[in-house]
Amino acid sequence: MISAGIAALILFAGVAFFLIIGAPISISVGIASMLAMFSILDPQNALQASAQRMFTGMNSFALLAIPFFILAGVIMNNGGIAMRLVNCAKVLSGRMPGSLAQTNILANMMFGSISGSAVAAAAAVGSTMAPMQEKEGYDRTFSAAVNIASAPTGMLIPPSNTLIVFSLVSGGTSIAALFMAGYVPGILWGIACMIMAFFIAKRKGYKSNERVPFKLALKVFIDAIPSLFLIIIVIGGIIMGVFTATEGSAIAVVYALLLSFIYKTIKVKDLPKILMDSTRTTAIVIFLIGVSTIMSWVMSFTGIPKLIADLLLGFTDNMIIILIIMNIVLLIVGTFMDPTPAILIFTPIFFPIVTQFGMDPVHFGIMVVFNLSIGTITPPVGPVLFIGARVAKLKIEQVIRPLIPFFAVTVVVLLLVTYIPQLSLWLPQLLGLIK
Amino acid sequence: GGDEKIPASGEASSSGETQVLKVAFNQPENHPQYKAMEEFGEKFKELTDGAYEIDIFPNELLGAQRETVELVQTGTIQMSIVAGSLLENFNEDFAVFNLPYVFESAEHQMSVLSDEEIVGDLYSSLKDQGLYVAGAFHSGVRNVYNSKKPINTPEDLKGLKIRIIESDTNIKMMEQMGGTGTPMGQGEVYTAIQSGVIDGGENNELIFANLKHAEISPYYSYTNHLMLPDFLLINSQLFDGMSEEHQQIFKDELAKAIDHEVEMWDEDAKKAIADAEAAGATFNEVDVDLFRKATEPVVQEKLTSENAKKLYEKVREAAK
Amino acid sequence: METIKKVLDKILSTICVVLFGALVLLVTWQVFTRFVLNNPSAFSEELAKYCFVWLVLFGAAFVFGENGHMRIEFIQEAFPKKLKMVTQIFIELSIIFFSALVLLSGGMTITKLAWTQLSAALQIPVGYLYAAMPICGVFIIFYCIYNIYTIAKNKKPLEAV
Ligand code: NA
Ligand code: NA
Repeated sequence: MISAGIAALILFAGVAFFLIIGAPISISVGIASMLAMFSILDPQNALQASAQRMFTGMNSFALLAIPFFILAGVIMNNGGIAMRLVNCAKVLSGRMPGSLAQTNILANMMFGSISGSAVAAAAAVGSTMAPMQEKEGYDRTFSAAVNIASAPTGMLIPPSNTLIVFSLVSGGTSIAALFMAGYVPGILWGIACMIMAFFIAKRKGYKSNERVPFKLALKVFIDAIPSLFLIIIVIGGIIMGVFTATEGSAIAVVYALLLSFIYKTIKVKDLPKILMDSTRTTAIVIFLIGVSTIMSWVMSFTGIPKLIADLLLGFTDNMIIILIIMNIVLLIVGTFMDPTPAILIFTPIFFPIVTQFGMDPVHFGIMVVFNLSIGTITPPVGPVLFIGARVAKLKIEQVIRPLIPFFAVTVVVLLLVTYIPQLSLWLPQLLGLIK
Repeated sequence: GGDEKIPASGEASSSGETQVLKVAFNQPENHPQYKAMEEFGEKFKELTDGAYEIDIFPNELLGAQRETVELVQTGTIQMSIVAGSLLENFNEDFAVFNLPYVFESAEHQMSVLSDEEIVGDLYSSLKDQGLYVAGAFHSGVRNVYNSKKPINTPEDLKGLKIRIIESDTNIKMMEQMGGTGTPMGQGEVYTAIQSGVIDGGENNELIFANLKHAEISPYYSYTNHLMLPDFLLINSQLFDGMSEEHQQIFKDELAKAIDHEVEMWDEDAKKAIADAEAAGATFNEVDVDLFRKATEPVVQEKLTSENAKKLYEKVREAAK
Repeated sequence: METIKKVLDKILSTICVVLFGALVLLVTWQVFTRFVLNNPSAFSEELAKYCFVWLVLFGAAFVFGENGHMRIEFIQEAFPKKLKMVTQIFIELSIIFFSALVLLSGGMTITKLAWTQLSAALQIPVGYLYAAMPICGVFIIFYCIYNIYTIAKNKKPLEAV
């Protein structure tokens, strides 16, 4: 236990130090893990184990889904698919108060359901919507807040790279089950934003869309069908067990590419640039996963998770309080850290504790991803916040105030998701993916 | 932390300190091999007056099997329980134990794998690579199960897609048994059977019941085609560095644990069969000789070296 | 120095594009063999995994050259210019430290150890595959030296990407 304490100290102090001075997150985690390993093994063995853990951490067929979903997202962003989804959402949101805001939220949810990236949704949908909303006299800060608040729903509505990362670090929780479990919480997040937008819009007196003639509505629907069909093929195939998440992601790439060639929005000569863009994101995320594998190995080797569990359980053994503590820790972590590194660092620590209490791994995964997704819209580090403000041509400070009510409702939904397991587990159970 | 540093070779006993031996294991704590190793650890610690302590890491916490072999080689960890197929990389003669129908029964398997006469040289052959095989555990008998019908003859397997462990031998074996082998990760098998991508799998009763495959492919037929042992690897420098007395205790206690593991396996299998039957599974005996004949070509094909042939003969001889 | 960097950038990005393209083809082929030919391809899954790890390692090295890895910037942003430069140089040295020890030295150890071990499906030595690690380590070290050189030459901190 002494060696666990020393290793833990080196590890956490080391990570914190390097993060604060602005070193790459991967390097912060890597150096701290390496130093912690030096405290328990002779250097040669420590380096061998580090290198081997890192390589095998990346060498996984399940992880391959991540570059493919990233690539599919980049292709779709360039492929005129966002515009078709926005049009479709506009018809769906009809004549509700603030219907353009509702359109934005729906479009973000639809975009999220074909791509795993909240940032891509905020950029693509936000920049399409902003001019329309301005023309209808919407307050620009309000439109931006709506766009930002609803963009992260795509991290819960499948496909979701964040859920794939969780599956991996939690020791192979079923990706199909996690994907299904994300639907209800993701949609609830969207609905909560829609309700909030409804009341604000009503108070501000924003008009609704004009009535759309049936013929036009039909045309818009038909136009969006090929894009939406992707959901049925990819997610349907994964859930039915027809193919794995990785195979499904490759199909998504091929499908999105064919569609973009048909829409003539992507040419063959654009491909190297698209591949290189995807390589960057992939390399950053997966390199980080590899390095984090060193860290989780050091932790199991020295028994750090058990040490933390004992400390926490010595303090309380009330599951409700433990989950509150975890949620608060994650919300704070989420303010300055992206979801992927936060999941990689905190899952090995929290996961053994909650499974000890009989919490379903799938439910826990949804709680963690939901929580950390909120972090993408909070300062100081909030990629969705940054992109959303940029496409609306606003300063970050201007968006924060109108964002607060939306932030509040998502935290309420987070609490519901935390304490009502059925919100996450009902759908995967219905489909027989978990017991 | 310095006082708990783990030396690469084992000489801790003289100073009165306890040396912790870390054991990598890929299954959960309720697995018979885990329980047997735990018992072994307690006895070993007691009889060496606390010179050694065994610390088992279940659930692949220290890495997948192949990776843990590398860690044992350099002494980063001290022991690992691994499948025989991994040892083929170091000495291909280990392949003999993974051939279909090489063992008649668990008793036959265990008597061969603990017979110094037969396996002594083989187990020591990896020492120049830092590894010593301390012993072998029984790990059940693999049988075919499927969602369509009970299997009695190779004819019955025709047209059925059966999940197998990825390997050339296994693909050929399944073909000769009458079916089509489909390699696939274990995590996907349940949904793949459910959706009809494959028709079944081949495994022991424990996996069949624990992974609930009984619910979706209830016909479990005793083809008895594979009896793959698991091997306990220990860092050879560590083992050679132990005093003779400690080595003897190690061997004796391990032998006892290995025997007890077979009993525990039997009990667990009985429980698994009852659970599976409650979930709707049926179990049937088959004409094993038909399958044995059918798979003879793959056995002959795998016995390439003179050494392997001799070893195979010895193993078969022991069955008589 | 700049020329070497440009050439290395070009080589790495070309390798990455080829590997990524190969990945898409391999996994698509895997799906095709499973469903259309009804005969799963054993080698494509393993080959895809190795292409993937190589892609990530080379891609990661490339991104170090762009100073583009995920980091928490807002604290460093508040530093005065001098302190910021010193901090950045310290970070580059830390990256070199990590790369030299884990990727290069540790990577060499496992590469040697696995040089004759054959992989399950492809039957190629696992050591060849591990070799990507030390190679990637060398590239990262070069990029870090280049970054330090840039800071020293321009006498101002690196721009965040
Ligand atoms: Na999504
Ligand atoms: Na944040």
